[in-house]
Amino acid sequence: MTLLHLLRIDLRKLTGYRTFWVVCGLYFLTLGLTSASGMEFLKWLARTFEDFGSKLNINRIPLYHFPDIWLNLIWCSGLLKIVLGVMVVISVTNEYSYRTIRQNIIDGLSRRQFLASKILTNALLSLLSLALITVIGLVTGLIYSPVITFDRIITDTEFLPLYFLEVFFFLSYAMMLGILINRAGLTIIVLLLSRVIEAVITSNIDDHVPWLIQYFPMQSIANMIPFPAPRYAFQEIRDWVDPLSVAIVAAWTFLFNWLSYVKLKRSDL
Amino acid sequence: MENVLTIRNLTKRFGRLCAVNNLSLTVDRGQVFGMLGPNGSGKTTTLGMLMGVINPTAGEYLWLGEKPTHHIRKKIGAVLEHPIFYPYLTGRQNLELMAMIKQAPTSNIPRVLDLVELTGRENDKYRTYSLGMKQRLAIASAMLGDPVILILDEPTNGLDPMGIAEIRSLIQKIASDGKTIILASHLLDEVQKVCTHFAVLKKGNLIHSGPIDDVGKGAEVVEVSADVADLDRLLDTFTGLSALHRQNGYLQVTLKDGFKSKDLNRFLFEKGVVASHLVTKKKNLEQQFLEILNTHDESL
Ligand SMILES: Nc1ncnc2c1ncn2[C@@H]1O[C@H](COP(=O)(O)OP(=O)(O)OP(=O)(O)O)[C@@H](O)[C@H]1O
Ligand SMILES: [Mg+2]
Repeated sequence: MTLLHLLRIDLRKLTGYRTFWVVCGLYFLTLGLTSASGMEFLKWLARTFEDFGSKLNINRIPLYHFPDIWLNLIWCSGLLKIVLGVMVVISVTNEYSYRTIRQNIIDGLSRRQFLASKILTNALLSLLSLALITVIGLVTGLIYSPVITFDRIITDTEFLPLYFLEVFFFLSYAMMLGILINRAGLTIIVLLLSRVIEAVITSNIDDHVPWLIQYFPMQSIANMIPFPAPRYAFQEIRDWVDPLSVAIVAAWTFLFNWLSYVKLKRSDL
Repeated sequence: MENVLTIRNLTKRFGRLCAVNNLSLTVDRGQVFGMLGPNGSGKTTTLGMLMGVINPTAGEYLWLGEKPTHHIRKKIGAVLEHPIFYPYLTGRQNLELMAMIKQAPTSNIPRVLDLVELTGRENDKYRTYSLGMKQRLAIASAMLGDPVILILDEPTNGLDPMGIAEIRSLIQKIASDGKTIILASHLLDEVQKVCTHFAVLKKGNLIHSGPIDDVGKGAEVVEVSADVADLDRLLDTFTGLSALHRQNGYLQVTLKDGFKSKDLNRFLFEKGVVASHLVTKKKNLEQQFLEILNTHDESL
């Protein structure tokens, strides 16, 4: 059975599901609208300030100028991945609550193929997010950048594949939670609280083993894609790719999918 | 005869509970194999292991002489326990999805829908189906991939009497095509009508396995009545009598081996009694099933 066929099986399940269209529609709409309209928002902000007699020079904040635009868009869009994560949880836990995972296996899918179909959907959703951000980045960058050179356009685009990795990492995590917990509500709560739980743990070990913190999953994402805002407060930010952080995120992503496989392989359905 | 299914020492434990204990069985091509047993005796668990959804604790099984893989499952049509479908998809979409998984042609869909008389409702969401319609869709789905083996766990659950009769004739028709069928059911009448072989499980143990024809063998039971007051006392003196019960207003005479109903008839006639009712009853599966269970009461 080809990978494409497996992907089509999972998409067939999802495309008949209204919740999928609503959640994904909301996600891509929000992603598109917020990332494309940031500049208009700034202009509106500037006009409002002017009405109050103060001046806000929006050209001093080159949010949408090449090359700043890439990290800005990627970092902000990364916040929205939680919506896709919830969708993935629903897609996985539905298979358990409807027991359709059992019937899929009975019908002749192997457990590995079942998992592969879910992973492929995760990859597709990540790829679509990447494509949308790339297009919006290019278009808005071309519109708003005062200086356009090829060099400036491609500077920092090395963060685009990392954005794909970030989303795929998170969807893999959501899928794994769904497979381990099986129940939608609980899984979503754990998913939403993950960052908080991790923060509690890391702040406690901060004094003892601070070097360990970078290996935590959510922290590794933050390390891989740096928060870009400080550069507008005249601070340096890292605008190059840190290979260690990428390796850590990739390792976690692999581990999530592998754990899903092990759990699925062992469980009675 | 060719082995379709060979089970060797299959065991499943759920914690301390042993759901299936050291089960060994073979099913040959063309058999309609009935799996009987009280609730919780391990029928569904056994079928679940055979279909790869429950990992056996020990033992093994072979389909068509081979180690089981997901490829072989595509050639088996199976419905375990109750129908399972995506509630938000229509019946047809569910079958299309299943055809993709089984890699079966979608051109089969109208045929199987027709078979279970769901044509006309196939574009309604599965969620909106009645219990019997869900069961019918499940049977349709089992037939989708032109299976060589059919596994049905309580297939007539929730069907109306007409539906039950239809499923019965469907099973007989499929069996006459040379397909092998494994059927778990509590409807012993149905099992007796369609099955060629049967096995009885109790608390996970196999306590009987053999052809259905055997059921009719053994002691004969004759139902009699006559217009005399002390028929039962009279019958007590009959040398061929092994047991005597009163049931449905008739006396049920269980004969000793080698005695036939005509011996009883002659006996009555010689005593000057004319029977107004004398029927030989084939022992049915239900009686035999209960007997098998009872004789194993002490041992388990
Ligand atoms: N997932 C499970 N976890 C724990 N125990 C289980 C599980 N599945 C089945 N059992 C137990 O295994 C035993 C056999 O159950 P099974 O469903 O195989 O019985 P059955 O013969 O199909 O019964 P029925 O006629 O009621 O369908 C029961 O005691 C049941 O409680
Ligand atoms: Mg059962």
